[in-house]
Amino acid sequence: METIPAHQKKIFRQYVIELSSALALYAVVLTVAISVGEHMRSGIWRTLLLVSPMGPFMLMLLAIVRQFRRVDEYARMQILENIAISAAVTAGWTFTYGFLENAGFPRLTMFTVGPVMGILWGGVAILRGQMCR
Amino acid sequence: MKNIVRDLRVERGWSQVELADRLEVSRQTIIAIETGRYDPSLPLAFAIARVFGKPIEGVFLNGK
Repeated sequence: METIPAHQKKIFRQYVIELSSALALYAVVLTVAISVGEHMRSGIWRTLLLVSPMGPFMLMLLAIVRQFRRVDEYARMQILENIAISAAVTAGWTFTYGFLENAGFPRLTMFTVGPVMGILWGGVAILRGQMCR
Repeated sequence: MKNIVRDLRVERGWSQVELADRLEVSRQTIIAIETGRYDPSLPLAFAIARVFGKPIEGVFLNGK
């Protein structure tokens, strides 16, 4: 028996194509930026090259926003709630870890915040999805 | 807000997936509406009433 409506399959397929294309482009630009950038002298061109992966990153954001607009109103509400919960937990975690750094824990780079929130977002979405079945 | 979406769907022999397809929403949305966990927006409520061929007040009832 079919468990996913055809319309949902169609918009999910579109999302996967858009997001994976942007992700692939990001990987290529990132690889080029790092490998070429390390041999360049400091200056505006090196800076621009090293920040260039943000172009495809914006395409990834665009793919997410487009999918957000395609899904129905209940799914949109669920997504927003999941983001709010994961943002709140991430804020709690960063504050907690900030205090732990004062207590001697190793310093973490700012880059850890994004992946932590992303993983939490996924975890919250899976958990709440299971609860709503 | 109460609703009789589940009764109307079962009456017609439609699955949740089939109704979700007709409304272009997810199955989770149908489940949330049927169980009363989510009150749909006015446009979606009108769309639901339309697929069942009923007036909106024939599907959604005032009261908790």
